Amino acid sequence: MTKLNTTNDLEALRKQITAQRKNIRTTLTLCGGTGCQASQCRDVIDAVKGALGKHGLEKSVQVRISGCHGFCEQGPLMVIEPGNIFYCHIKPEDAQDIVSKTVMSGAVIERLLYVDPVSNKTIQTEADIPFYQAQDRQLLSQNRLVDPCSIEDYIAVGGYSALVKTLFQMTSGQVIDEIKTSGLRGRGGGGFPTGRKWADCQEAPGDEKYVICNADEGDPGAYMDRSVLEGNPHLVLEGMMIGAFAIGAAQGYIYVRKEYPLAVEHAKIAVQQARECGLLGENILGSRFSFDVEIARGGGAFVCGESTALMASLEGKVGEPRSKDVHTVEEGLWHKPTTLNNVETWANVPLIIKNGAARFAAKGTNNSKGTKILALTGRVKNTGLVEVAMGTPLRTVVYDIGGGAANGKAIKAVQTGGPSGGCLPVSKFDLPVDFDALYDAGSMVGSGGMVVMDESTCMVDVAKFFLQFLQDESCGKCVPCRLGVDRMLEIITTITEGQGKPEHISLLQELAETVQETSLCGLGKTAPNPVLSTLRYFPEEYAAHINHKRCPAGVCKPLITYAIDADNCKGCGLCLSACPLGAISGEKKQAHVIDQQRCNKCGICADECKSQAVTVN
Amino acid sequence: MKQYVTLTIDGAQVRAAKGASVLDAAIEYGICIPHLCHVPNLSDIGACRLCIVEQVSNGRAKVTTSCTLNVQEGMVILSNSEKIKKLRRNIAELLVAQAPNSKAVQDVAVRCGVKDVRYPFRHSDCVLCGRCVRVCTEMWGARALGFVGRGKDRHVDFPLGKREDFCKHCGSCIMLCPMTITPCKGPMKTGEEYLCGKCEAQLMITANRPDSCVWCELGKGFQCARYSQ
Repeated sequence: MTKLNTTNDLEALRKQITAQRKNIRTTLTLCGGTGCQASQCRDVIDAVKGALGKHGLEKSVQVRISGCHGFCEQGPLMVIEPGNIFYCHIKPEDAQDIVSKTVMSGAVIERLLYVDPVSNKTIQTEADIPFYQAQDRQLLSQNRLVDPCSIEDYIAVGGYSALVKTLFQMTSGQVIDEIKTSGLRGRGGGGFPTGRKWADCQEAPGDEKYVICNADEGDPGAYMDRSVLEGNPHLVLEGMMIGAFAIGAAQGYIYVRKEYPLAVEHAKIAVQQARECGLLGENILGSRFSFDVEIARGGGAFVCGESTALMASLEGKVGEPRSKDVHTVEEGLWHKPTTLNNVETWANVPLIIKNGAARFAAKGTNNSKGTKILALTGRVKNTGLVEVAMGTPLRTVVYDIGGGAANGKAIKAVQTGGPSGGCLPVSKFDLPVDFDALYDAGSMVGSGGMVVMDESTCMVDVAKFFLQFLQDESCGKCVPCRLGVDRMLEIITTITEGQGKPEHISLLQELAETVQETSLCGLGKTAPNPVLSTLRYFPEEYAAHINHKRCPAGVCKPLITYAIDADNCKGCGLCLSACPLGAISGEKKQAHVIDQQRCNKCGICADECKSQAVTVN
Repeated sequence: MKQYVTLTIDGAQVRAAKGASVLDAAIEYGICIPHLCHVPNLSDIGACRLCIVEQVSNGRAKVTTSCTLNVQEGMVILSNSEKIKKLRRNIAELLVAQAPNSKAVQDVAVRCGVKDVRYPFRHSDCVLCGRCVRVCTEMWGARALGFVGRGKDRHVDFPLGKREDFCKHCGSCIMLCPMTITPCKGPMKTGEEYLCGKCEAQLMITANRPDSCVWCELGKGFQCARYSQ
């Protein structure tokens, strides 16, 4: 790779790459993200490459192994250009057909096309898929256009032009003003205005300053940062460079969790490539700006996503938060002014600089601008990464993009913002994806996790699940978080075991408020949200557990009994042979019965029964 | 030359050296904000959260620990508001339920207004205040003690669980430990724990009756020696 010494070098390289690619007739974009790798996309990629080789098409057909497209449940995915043909659930044995039929003669293979679960229609092109249509994919759409391991791909689509604009046409003050005008707010959970953070850091006294990219994403079910960093690492790097220029930093760190091996690898490759090109290092592109980035791997602690804990971890200390009475923009890493932003925040920066703040600010609500990536999971038909403009109602996300309930049961709630967020009932589904609106409703946008729950989910059990997670992940430094969360879990466990007392509700409420107000860091301050939001919106479920000793959703084992409805039972014997404890008895073609003494409420009989004769009470 | 700032704590004008913590400034003036993990001359980590105060600025009150908050000119602090009293009581209740066998914890709980304990008692022999770790690390530079584990598993231990030569058996850790003084009747039997706190602890938990005592409102809530005379 030649070193780029001036902006002209960069433009020349861009032209050269475009010229080289003129002869490419067809592009096969295969998703190589972690989600698709779990569905064996590596084998598919090898098979496709092999099939192309057999037909001597390696030169004229480009195979691009891109990052995550977002529709992970349909993986492995492939998009064929021209034609925008979308194939899903590809197996290695399909490779031969794809090459001989679609690539060589343009025929569409019916069996690999996507079938929309809502309308049951077969859809040929990626652009027509309802899951994508209802979204506003500013960041995620870029993933498909680049190979994350290729800086040429990124440069070819106009990469690093925002950096050039910053370095040669703007002052640091102008960059900060642009970010301020755009209204960009931190995407990691807090929603702090990015421009203000940068301005504070720039004004803080000190020659040595740092920028950090927080890729220690740990919310259960959320993976937007992973997808952006592993799918388009140069975009994140470019954002960090612009940020570093604005605040006056010469060193940056990407703190990425070690459970994201692909993201670590891609970030390392990107940094290496940028260094070789001279886009990182001394006097970048001939300017007076020098900057370098190091990759640091996290050790697997959820709390290290908290800014001060992350910095302690970077310094080689135990990853524990400290009191933020002095902000990290004044005294952060190595006691120097530090700007820490989330992956998605950094990725938005080059787009704002390149397209202008006005275009970014045109999307969204009064106080929340731009788009947000959400990880849609749970009981909906379509799951995956979803990017929508801020202000989009939750209803649109759940029903239009998610396609509504997956198994015919009514949707009851959506849990937003991961363990720190809250559960919102269907009556609140008109709320927009907006930092302030969700906060006021007792939840938060957070990092963007969105778990949809239906009638078969017990909200008390949900609160218990998140408390268990937080109890495990609390660092244990301060009393309210360590003992408070532990006691909340103790009380909730008592309730789910049928030992709850009416006074437990007020005690939970009081304890939750104490933990919220007095905890040391953000983890503790938001830890009671799952409890508070379920208490606020689903008090009847708590009442049923405590007063009537029953679990309406049929989840909490000590409170439920399985029984066989004699009228519906056909005596087929499926449940009898499936029961691991031999608790079911009955003659063939006669109604069966469950011995309650032996039953351990595993629910296998209910799953096995074809005639819905097993009831839960 | 030492620089001073003036701030208001519970309505009293207080002068404190620049760089001092609000807790130190308060104690100097006899405003005995309850605290457990704070030890003079050691760093403050804000772990026990008993010394919480409300910092009022622009009409908004923010709850924070006074040990980690540095004094600033014109700062307004409320150390004994209804909100703070309730929060502090709840924290102290969590602590005493965890470690009823410490006289220091019992006393501080009663001082903070705990009347009854609503959680099942546990028999923990450590509240992870970190006094021992900090005295060993900061005062003697020995680093013979440290925190191990996370969350519920967090505990104080020697490096790799083995007492090393660099522990000189100086005993500072034991001297500062709030758990080493048990209630007068001896350790409570499992299942028979109760809230006691009848006597003031003999520890540096709070500076008891400093010469400059201003008879703060805080003392009324517990058996402050001044009020019981």
